Amino acid sequence: MIRPKLFMALLAGVVLLASGAVAPAGADVIKVGVIAPFSGPFAIWGKQFQDGITVYQAQHGTQVDGQTVEFLYRDSGGPNPDVAKSLAQELLVRERVDYLGGFVFTPNALAVAPLIDQSQTPTVIFNAATSAINARSPFFLRTGFTLWQVSVPMAQWAYDQGLRAVATSVSDYGPGLDAEAAFASAFQARGGVVVDAIRMPLSSTDFAPFMQRIKASGADAVFGFLPAGPPTYAFTKAYNDAGLRAAGIGFLGTGETDETTLDALGDAALGLNTAYHYSAAHPSSVNKAFINALALHDPRAVANMASVGAYDGAHLIYEMVAAAKRDGPGAVAAAKGLAWESPRGPVLIDPETRHITQNVYIRVVDKDATGRLFNREFATIEAQPDHGWNR
Amino acid sequence: MFEAWLGRMGAPVALLGVVGLIAFFAFPYDLGFLTRILIMMIFVLSIDLVLGYGGIATLGQAAMYGTGAYAAGLFAVHISANPLLGLLIGAGAGAGVAFLSGLIVLRAHGLGLLMLTIAVAQILHEIANKARVVTGGADGLSGIRMAPLFGRWHFDFIGQTGYLYALAVLVLVMVFLRALCVAPLGLTARGIHESPVRMAAIGVPVYGRRVLIYTIAGGLAGLAGALSAQVTALVSLQVFSFSLSAEAVVMLILGGTGRLWGAIFGTAIFMVIHHLAATADPYNWLFVIGILLLGVVYFIPGGLMGVRQRLRILFGGQG
Repeated sequence: MIRPKLFMALLAGVVLLASGAVAPAGADVIKVGVIAPFSGPFAIWGKQFQDGITVYQAQHGTQVDGQTVEFLYRDSGGPNPDVAKSLAQELLVRERVDYLGGFVFTPNALAVAPLIDQSQTPTVIFNAATSAINARSPFFLRTGFTLWQVSVPMAQWAYDQGLRAVATSVSDYGPGLDAEAAFASAFQARGGVVVDAIRMPLSSTDFAPFMQRIKASGADAVFGFLPAGPPTYAFTKAYNDAGLRAAGIGFLGTGETDETTLDALGDAALGLNTAYHYSAAHPSSVNKAFINALALHDPRAVANMASVGAYDGAHLIYEMVAAAKRDGPGAVAAAKGLAWESPRGPVLIDPETRHITQNVYIRVVDKDATGRLFNREFATIEAQPDHGWNR
Repeated sequence: MFEAWLGRMGAPVALLGVVGLIAFFAFPYDLGFLTRILIMMIFVLSIDLVLGYGGIATLGQAAMYGTGAYAAGLFAVHISANPLLGLLIGAGAGAGVAFLSGLIVLRAHGLGLLMLTIAVAQILHEIANKARVVTGGADGLSGIRMAPLFGRWHFDFIGQTGYLYALAVLVLVMVFLRALCVAPLGLTARGIHESPVRMAAIGVPVYGRRVLIYTIAGGLAGLAGALSAQVTALVSLQVFSFSLSAEAVVMLILGGTGRLWGAIFGTAIFMVIHHLAATADPYNWLFVIGILLLGVVYFIPGGLMGVRQRLRILFGGQG
């Protein structure tokens, strides 16, 4: 039996530690809380977000109209809505942040919706890609993309290339099913046929059986969606090994050839077609400046959709601060219809959906002069909204 | 006699409540985080009952936690937003799953048992993932709006109601468990933990008692899950994850298995250090946790609750 006094002292000590030091919020400091994974298997997201924001601040300074903008980072780990919610509570109540940002996973973003409604805090989502999120709170804005946004142009482009029979092959989880539904609806609307819709278990490592099935389905091409990382390597490898490429069955994807995975994919990725909103090789001066600043900040940093999502998120927050300072509803109103030139090309915050309207590029994996793989954009489908908004 | 019992049982638990109230007033800005600690304490207590008292090796307690969370969440969305009814539903669902799965998994022992507990959680995870229409799948079950507690206290933005609500539930759970541990069932569980063969020899239905303990603990885990669903107002697939079960077991080992206060302390210390380290350095905090665990396992194998005993041995007294 433990002595009550000792117990009390211990617990009091523990809780005292928990409170930490309460930082005084200066009147001219506007704080932005960023909730993202910084540890565990998804830590790369947090790093990419932080890189994007740091580069933006390096280029544009930390002051907006005499107000210092300060970013605070909090680690949510993986898809943990309860952690995300309590972090948001802490940021809003204790740190008194005026804006929130980050969010990789849909449940984490949905969990903070009731909070930001009450506190009227504009919250910029850098990635979480389910269309439904923005409908949950009028204070959500998004600078990432949705699967509908990139899958619909992919399907339309594929049809325009003369492809009529496509097999879809997606990982069996939320985003995969979204991609499948988006592709199928757009492809069928044009008159194409989805000859087989394969849902692969998320933990699949051997894709040869799926490749055989695709081959047997008589498809002209396969539309694939898998979470970035090892499954994607295995999937593209199986695509080559099973002879689909040799048989002339095209590959249609979205984020599979992301810059962070491209080197690991190796030459197996050459010639793969994807539709996406950002390639680090996008030919524009704004993108060049972004890439150079990123290399200056950290030579090993990789520019991809996550870092550019955060970069544009930081821009949106700066614009809102300039327009409305701490006034949440005013800031959101100012953000609606805001247009600017992003490293990814011209973008616009849709006044209705508060989602970013952007070009979607059809790309092919190619080798540059130094032998490095990159996504070469060769067709542009302009000003795509979130096609999933009214679903 | 009864008063003495009440004093022995009640005083430390009352202290827990008092310390909880002090924390409420001392850290008004951290209630969201503190509420998570309280809920996790209930969950770790349920594992303590299974692992520490019953001697049932488990890495799948999240199965019951998750079932409780989804049951309470679905109940709130479709039937009634009454929080207390939701708690009962969550606890009942957790106990039900524990009973049904316990009938099967408790036939096994050792590593086989461990594997089966993990398997149950994995199966439920996959069911929740597939039943997208009902559970929201990977997007999570949202749309939970709780009615005010006792029709009076709203679940507020800062988390005051949520915190006091969770604290009250924790204190009740603690009272229940302390009573259970000295009741015949608790003593039987200890006996089975020490030597199932001998307990069988003196006429104890070992299998039946283990299922009973597993079911009660499942109910508590379901209760914790239901609380989490109500306070967060969202349930994600993560509630069934292996990492949740494993992390809770780590907290228990840190504090000391087979002691109720071990679960309380282990959880508080693990989560506070986790929180502080993760705030100070979002990238490398896992090192701190790893080193802490190594230190505890090497130097105080009984967990933090064993510190006093170790010190006494160290300074020449009797252990």
